Amino acid sequence: MAIDWDRYDSGLAWDELIAPGGKPRPGGGGLCRTLGRLSDAELAERKAAAELAIRAMGITFAVYARGKGGSIDREWPFDIVPRLIRKREWDAVTAGLKQRTTALNRFIDDVYHEQRSLADGVLPRELVEQSREFRPECVGVDPPHGVWSHVCGTDLVRDADGRFHVLEDNLRVPSGVSYMLENRHVMKRVFPELFENLAIHPVDDYPDRLAECLRSLSPREVEAPQIVVLTPGIYNSAYFEHAYLANAMAAELVEGSDLAVGPDDVVYMRTVNGLVRVDIVYRRIDDLFLDPLAFNPDSALGVPGLMRAWRAGKVALANSPGCGVADDKVIYTYVPELIRYFLGEEPLLPNVPSYRCVIKDERDEVLDNLDKMVVKPANESGGYGMMIGPQASRKEREAFARRIRAKPRNYMAQPMVTLSTAPTLIGADAEPRHLDLRPFILSGADTYVTMGGLTRVAMRRGSTVVNSSQGGGSKDTWVVGN
Amino acid sequence: MRPRKPGIGHTLSSTSQRSYWLGRYLERAESTARLIIVNANLLLDLPVRLPLGWRPLVHITGSEPEFDKVFKRSNERNVVRFLISDLRNPASLFSSLNLARENARTLRGRMPRAAFEYVNELVLYSRQSLSEPLSRTRRVAGLSRVMQMIQQIDGFLSGNMLHDALWGFLRIGNFIERADMLSRIVDLHSTDILGGNRPDPASFQDVQWRSVLESLSALQSYNATRQGPIDEVAVLNFLFKSPSLPRSYLRCLNQIRYNLRSLPRNERPLQAVNRLRREIEAVGSEAFAGDRLHGFVDDRQQDLAELHNTINRTYFDFKPRLPRA
Repeated sequence: MAIDWDRYDSGLAWDELIAPGGKPRPGGGGLCRTLGRLSDAELAERKAAAELAIRAMGITFAVYARGKGGSIDREWPFDIVPRLIRKREWDAVTAGLKQRTTALNRFIDDVYHEQRSLADGVLPRELVEQSREFRPECVGVDPPHGVWSHVCGTDLVRDADGRFHVLEDNLRVPSGVSYMLENRHVMKRVFPELFENLAIHPVDDYPDRLAECLRSLSPREVEAPQIVVLTPGIYNSAYFEHAYLANAMAAELVEGSDLAVGPDDVVYMRTVNGLVRVDIVYRRIDDLFLDPLAFNPDSALGVPGLMRAWRAGKVALANSPGCGVADDKVIYTYVPELIRYFLGEEPLLPNVPSYRCVIKDERDEVLDNLDKMVVKPANESGGYGMMIGPQASRKEREAFARRIRAKPRNYMAQPMVTLSTAPTLIGADAEPRHLDLRPFILSGADTYVTMGGLTRVAMRRGSTVVNSSQGGGSKDTWVVGN
Repeated sequence: MRPRKPGIGHTLSSTSQRSYWLGRYLERAESTARLIIVNANLLLDLPVRLPLGWRPLVHITGSEPEFDKVFKRSNERNVVRFLISDLRNPASLFSSLNLARENARTLRGRMPRAAFEYVNELVLYSRQSLSEPLSRTRRVAGLSRVMQMIQQIDGFLSGNMLHDALWGFLRIGNFIERADMLSRIVDLHSTDILGGNRPDPASFQDVQWRSVLESLSALQSYNATRQGPIDEVAVLNFLFKSPSLPRSYLRCLNQIRYNLRSLPRNERPLQAVNRLRREIEAVGSEAFAGDRLHGFVDDRQQDLAELHNTINRTYFDFKPRLPRA
């Protein structure tokens, strides 16, 4: 027994590897043949090799049990069948992502300066003013290159016709890129022969690109500006990634207590040599914890005076505080208009069709069709607080209807998208599982998009929930061909 | 890939502190394992069954209050469990290994990748093989393996880690802990653990000091360097003043000094360690004799604690003077 591609059937969903009829899509033949040649035992062996590599490399997205004298590392569920994307198609997506991120950065800069887009009515002023992520402390600040969101993780999905759509923009502190890099390491250990025979574009220049992007923000013109990665600490679920990136960039991994801001508004880190000036803080903690003097006074994670140093232009913060104002699921629905307004271009990558509950006609449409809709709150991430209509009980739907009527600004809705699938090894056979894709976009002096991104898979049959916090796994993503 | 611009490597105070403690915890774990093995052997050599044969180990590790909170009897089963697997004992083997791992985890970016994997394996192995009460033979086998794994980590780091400031702190941690454990082991033997029960004082003394040498992996070296028959003063001279014995007090100080020399702002810590070196070199055999031994060892422990404080104040816990605007 081995994988039998003839029996593989993804139903209505668009499959990434297998076309209707069981034939591989262009570029996927080599992979299908190689996988098809493996016996059950060999498949199990490769799977075990991947698990061993993941364990040995210590790739975890850590769930720490405190107070038990120890901690639990949870390994990231990983599927050994890669997801393929053709280079030509990826180039088009890359152009769309650059366009979108550029427009979003122009929008954020506008929000904290003239607010032309609001004055011109591109979107309702109160959407911005009522946003939980709008920070008055940021008004008038001029970050280098006018860029606010330097590292953006945009979630893409493919619909039943195989077209990529943007599901959401993660502009604040998106994570996952280290898993993208580690997945590639694992795959090289598990399927070295495929790397010899397929033209797979490398992903491992990301840390260098990130460092280059961050250096372009330096307030000082020096040969080697000092970069630090600011982490909430070892108990954060993404700590692995913070350490990984700091190491790969040859930057310092610091916690708030390692830093201090002087009366000269300069940020210093405490080293065995004494104080050393810091130029760029790649912060992996939320705005409200950055600086107890400016925001949450109880935050022990932040650095007192950091906002003052940033406003004085003595340090760069990436991502800039306040950039979450554009990372709001209601504002998301206006991104196509923002692209037209700021760039004078038609959007290259479409949004998932969306309804704005703030607009009466669209709200009524949502309320009439709640059983077919996915309702999302404006300001949550990680899949929390949303309602999947077809799976919700009548009671849940009624509760959401009440909430939408009470606070329409807090909600938007999308019709259910049939997410694409890719073959995933379940036991000794390949079965279709739904997935999405998170590429990372770096914006500084230049803009850079990762080659592919992190593919997240819903490991349960039929499920479309890919979040790691809710049982999702991941796959390596291969951009192939010329 | 684009060429990477050169940068200046910095060593954070907090990172150095973790490296230092990683060094201490690994060393402490190894000493604990060795102590338990050696004590079992010592009891076999003793002429009488001693009711308090395991209690001294609790004393050595400085955890008597914690022990008495949990156990009534200082028998082998209780003491061994307390020293090996009990997480209520902050100095148990498992506690030391857990703390070593937590420190190693945060240092992952600054050490060769495999270092954390090895420490992790060590924790997993010890949990797997030493969690349950065991026969002496199996316990000794497990503990020996733990010691071996720690020595492998030591060797791996020495051969593969960048010999930078972080490495210096790791080694300083190793040697302070090593010197501290030496003084604790000797202290135990400075008090007469047998009371009036000894049938043949002379031959028993032999056994006792032989076991001290063994617990410091120093018996073979003692014989190889022709120190003469095993007696208290000769053994103590060897343990405290030998410049070549890897676990001697003087050698630990020399290693600390050596590592301090390549660190920045080392003036005060160097002064402190040089003072301790001068003191031990000036000590004559009469300082060890009989009743004075306990006081002598006590002084060494206080000296080490002060050295630790000096290093802590200089590098880890200093108050920065921030520039004025």
